[in-house]
Amino acid sequence: MLAFASMTTGAVSAATPARVVSLNLCTDEYLLLTARPGQIASISRLGADEQESPLARQARGLATNSGQLSEVIEQRPDLVLTMGHDPQGVALAARLRIRLIALPYPTSPAAVVAQVQQVAALVGNTPAGTTFAARVAALTASAPKAQPGLMIGGSGLAPAMDGLAAGWLRLAGIAQQQGGQISLERLLVQPPPILIRNVYRRGQLSGPQAWSQHPALRQLRVTQVEADGRAFLCGGAAMPAEIARLRKALAT
Amino acid sequence: MRTGLALLCAVLALASLALGPVDLAALWARDPELARNLFIELRLPRTGLALLIGAGLGASGAAAQALFRNPLASPDVLGPSSGAALGAVLAGYFLGAGVIGMAIGGLAGAGLSLLLLLALAGRGAGATRLVLAGVAVSMLLGVAINLALSLAPSPFALYDLMFWLMGSLNDRSLPQLALAAPLILIGIVLLLRAAPALDTLALGEEVAQSLGVGLSAVQARVVLAIALATGAGVAVAGSIGFIGLIVPHLVRPFVRHRPGAAIAPSALAGAALLSAADIAVRLLPAALDLRLGVLTALIGAPFFLCLIMGRR
Repeated sequence: MLAFASMTTGAVSAATPARVVSLNLCTDEYLLLTARPGQIASISRLGADEQESPLARQARGLATNSGQLSEVIEQRPDLVLTMGHDPQGVALAARLRIRLIALPYPTSPAAVVAQVQQVAALVGNTPAGTTFAARVAALTASAPKAQPGLMIGGSGLAPAMDGLAAGWLRLAGIAQQQGGQISLERLLVQPPPILIRNVYRRGQLSGPQAWSQHPALRQLRVTQVEADGRAFLCGGAAMPAEIARLRKALAT
Repeated sequence: MRTGLALLCAVLALASLALGPVDLAALWARDPELARNLFIELRLPRTGLALLIGAGLGASGAAAQALFRNPLASPDVLGPSSGAALGAVLAGYFLGAGVIGMAIGGLAGAGLSLLLLLALAGRGAGATRLVLAGVAVSMLLGVAINLALSLAPSPFALYDLMFWLMGSLNDRSLPQLALAAPLILIGIVLLLRAAPALDTLALGEEVAQSLGVGLSAVQARVVLAIALATGAGVAVAGSIGFIGLIVPHLVRPFVRHRPGAAIAPSALAGAALLSAADIAVRLLPAALDLRLGVLTALIGAPFFLCLIMGRR
């Protein structure tokens, strides 16, 4: 179904593409997980940044782009992957007869699995998609009984209770209690049994960072576990490893 | 008037301490230790910062209008607010500096923007030239902030920066209060000490010089004080505009339009106005998520327009 949901342009070739480009952090991660060595012409610069993606190490030595289709034309890609609504990019790709696939934002772990399998099939490496699907299936089968908890990021923003992040958290044994903006006062007075702190760009100070370092938050006497905010940016290909890590952290 | 404003500040401070998403009295009855922690760690810093930052902006606005002898002069119009925001953004995001680094960046940005303004205007510049130079500096700094935003390390860092620039006192901490308070207070004291000289300056530069008031010395003292009062506030709370522009106009009729004499009541009125705005932000529906800097701008921009219309 996702194959129909994604937008495809240009001449479709059944042959395995030799030069694949990704313009988006989330499709970067799919590509790094599924493509064979030498098949990636470039990924976005975010995908190669260790502060943005846990898979960035796998991107060492790869060419990067700024996420604009016009920049990668000279790389003569057989296939361009991106994510989200990009009508201008789709129209430009159609004019240039470049095969561009714009995947929709996934809303559940199952949708992520389907997208990884789709990308794996596109790059001619179906087993990589099967392996990922099997890994998520194993995590789902072994998921601990969900207990109430709260994942919260800088500035007190919590992911939606029925969203993608909450779906992955359930596989770690956490049922997201609430979503949206949560004040530090409410958090202190009604603390969740388990607090998952979504840590992103720890080394750089910003408003959200200052919030997450608030002394009151540090005093909260509940189980506190840190999540790798980079993995939750996309909630995609890097999530199985992050869920396994979270399970270990919650068990100790 | 000062007593009335001080009483108003006290009432607003009590309201700020009492109001919040949690009923503090009920919590006190149930869990006194938690209530005490919540009061000290969250309500106290927020209330203290609203009073101090408001006072710093109000006093800075009054002093700027006195120094430049122009009713449109304020930290927002002349550049120190933008300079402080740019300095804090550069220090915080691009140099990876901590809370103290951001404060230093804010102070340096505010001070440098004012020095640039004075250098651009030149020695003995008239009030109009100074304000024109201030508008130019402010625009330049606005462009530099936009450049910093477009060079943000990632789209997510860009959102962080944008929200920070909107200004907020939400969930501020005691260390942030401890950092900003002494700097803002020193700035306000320096401005209060410059008040007699600024009153003399209102008689004209030549008269002031004949009375022993040197323009350069007053300028240097006021620039340093505005940098301290504005820079420290912006570094902790982000950009909060228009307080420095509005407040001196509200109090000046009560001090017989003496610019130096307006500094102390402007500090009190600024503290009251920012505290009231911060209380209003908390009383609005949470779904609106209106930022403090946005609310002060919503109040300040029409006031600014009225000011211009009134002078036609």
